[in-house]
Amino acid sequence: MKIGKRLLSALLIAAMSLTFALTGCSSQEAKSEEPAGSTSQSGSAASGKKLNVAILLNGTLGDKAFFDSAANGAKMMESELGCTTKVIEMTADETKWVPALTDASENPDYDIIIVGTWQMSEKLAQIAAQYPDKKYIIFDSSVDYTDGKCSNVYSIEYKQNECSFLAGVAGALTSKTGKLGFVGGMENTVINDFLMGYIQGAKAVNPNIKILISYVGNFTDTAHAKELTLAQINQGADVIFQVASNAGLGVIDGCAAKGKYVIGVDSDQALAFQSSDPAKAQSILTSALKRVDISITKAVKEAQAGTLKYGQSESLGLADDCVGLGTYNKNVTKDVQDKVAEYAEKIKSGSIKVDSAFGKSTSEIEAARKSVRP
Amino acid sequence: MNAVMATIFSASFLFSVIRLTTPILLAALAALITDRAGVMNIGLEGIMLCSALAGVVASAAFHSAFLGLIFAIITGVVFGLIMAYSALNLKADIILVGIAINLMASGGTIFVLYSICGDKGNSTSLKSLTMPSINIPVIGNIPVLGSILSGHNLLTYIAFLSVFLIWLLLYKTPLGLRIRVVGENPNAAESVGINVRKIQYIVLIISGVLASIGGAYMSMGYMDKFSRDMVAGRGFIALAAEALGTGTPVGIMGSSLIFGAADALATNLQVLNIPVQFVQMIPYALTIVGLIVYSVMRNRKEKKIGISK
Repeated sequence: MKIGKRLLSALLIAAMSLTFALTGCSSQEAKSEEPAGSTSQSGSAASGKKLNVAILLNGTLGDKAFFDSAANGAKMMESELGCTTKVIEMTADETKWVPALTDASENPDYDIIIVGTWQMSEKLAQIAAQYPDKKYIIFDSSVDYTDGKCSNVYSIEYKQNECSFLAGVAGALTSKTGKLGFVGGMENTVINDFLMGYIQGAKAVNPNIKILISYVGNFTDTAHAKELTLAQINQGADVIFQVASNAGLGVIDGCAAKGKYVIGVDSDQALAFQSSDPAKAQSILTSALKRVDISITKAVKEAQAGTLKYGQSESLGLADDCVGLGTYNKNVTKDVQDKVAEYAEKIKSGSIKVDSAFGKSTSEIEAARKSVRP
Repeated sequence: MNAVMATIFSASFLFSVIRLTTPILLAALAALITDRAGVMNIGLEGIMLCSALAGVVASAAFHSAFLGLIFAIITGVVFGLIMAYSALNLKADIILVGIAINLMASGGTIFVLYSICGDKGNSTSLKSLTMPSINIPVIGNIPVLGSILSGHNLLTYIAFLSVFLIWLLLYKTPLGLRIRVVGENPNAAESVGINVRKIQYIVLIISGVLASIGGAYMSMGYMDKFSRDMVAGRGFIALAAEALGTGTPVGIMGSSLIFGAADALATNLQVLNIPVQFVQMIPYALTIVGLIVYSVMRNRKEKKIGISK
């Protein structure tokens, strides 16, 4: 009897843990335009053939940003290129990533496998070497191409510094106090790349601009992000740029509460709030976007035409429409928008070169921060 | 340095200390009440997270913040009962039950969030409500003190009121005496006819209520939305605050305020451009310092009264 009870309690706990596991493993079959029988066969991508693309996300959909944008890319591939796509959520559980990637590589139906973020780059490099006949695309990161490795992988990196440059321009032109804010998730190179562009853009229109810079320390603690925002507002910041994923909600909340402007990131955050919380949508000045959808669709289109440069990494920016600003707040004047467009043209033409955190030492980044310190 | 001092001694800083202390204090009290009855509730983080979601969903569904709070509390009670049933009736290890609840909450809330909002990140699409902020009539008019103490969320006042209520419960009621006896020596308690299981059931329910108010504060006071993993370790920091608080409600209020102050300090120092990595370390460093001070003090006290270990 006692053993029975123990067993029951063990089962109860197992059932509870299972709930956790089950939330992860869902995969989403994207709507296919082709009848089931005509899906493309395995083998390398011949030009003009409709490709079968698998997108493996090392997270879950619903971030209203990065991964959702990749899923949107799947839809674009179907409608524009006639591809068959499948979006697989590998969840945030790192132990599932390599098995899922191996499974997809073993599957003869997939012509191209797409993954994203720096966390996948090393894993992809390992797997890609084992399946030299498969083709891979990685976004927002690059695999290691030294020694001629990864000749079947194409890497997409984003020039996030270019869209944050424009965010800096828009912010500095809107600010009345001459003080901007920046709330990052964690201090890493990508976040600092955003920061470098932001600083340069703000200084381009106002050489005396001051920027308060804080980091949450993670990408989930909304309350702490809000606290940082309120502290920045107390110090005089009136436009704050958030690059903190989910924690960024706290920044938006803080700015909305104090009637200040916030610049969103990764997706058009004003649109996300439009229906549920118009007051919050009103506090969003604009958003700095990384267009994962456009970039991966572009890559697949090139693959279909047989021109995709496997074995290389490309940085896509304003000139490729792969980064940019989202919709503007209705209070943003035409003058400001024109000015931003003017700078965007200058970046596209190459007459302005935007600072990047990549390849910069910690002390050089610190020097840039110091230059806008109040 | 002047800028640092000016920040620390400003009213807005002290206001934010109280705001940051609230969730930690509620969860630490939840840890205290179970600890005093000899059960360890490490599922606080999970209970807070589930209650935070329940509050948001219910407030959006019924267009009432108070109904939201009530549903959050019901959620907390249900989890308290699940813990009690698994640990006390089924004799599962309560630590494992707590871990299971924490793991389940992290994934489970996202699952529920997705089923309701079609979104796995946050509850942006729900029109949820928040608990009101209260301006205290007389105190609110005192120049500096008013701006520190008045204007907080209702749940913040409930948190500090709970310190008094838990103190009252533990030291001034027969139930409190029984709770303490069960915690000291369950066999002795049983021998004098106290129903140990019943007492432990009661404390786990009270613990669930306190933790759920803490959770509701996160999503309906501090923030006005639910977002995944938004409790962000506060349930665990509360366990440290409880350990530091010498096992009394007032001690725990003190230790929670220390954590709140460290957090507020970390926030404000960042704005003053002190290196991020140093600043983010402060709350944790302070925990270690606090624990050392506590053990030194306890050792001295024990030496004084002649107990040597």
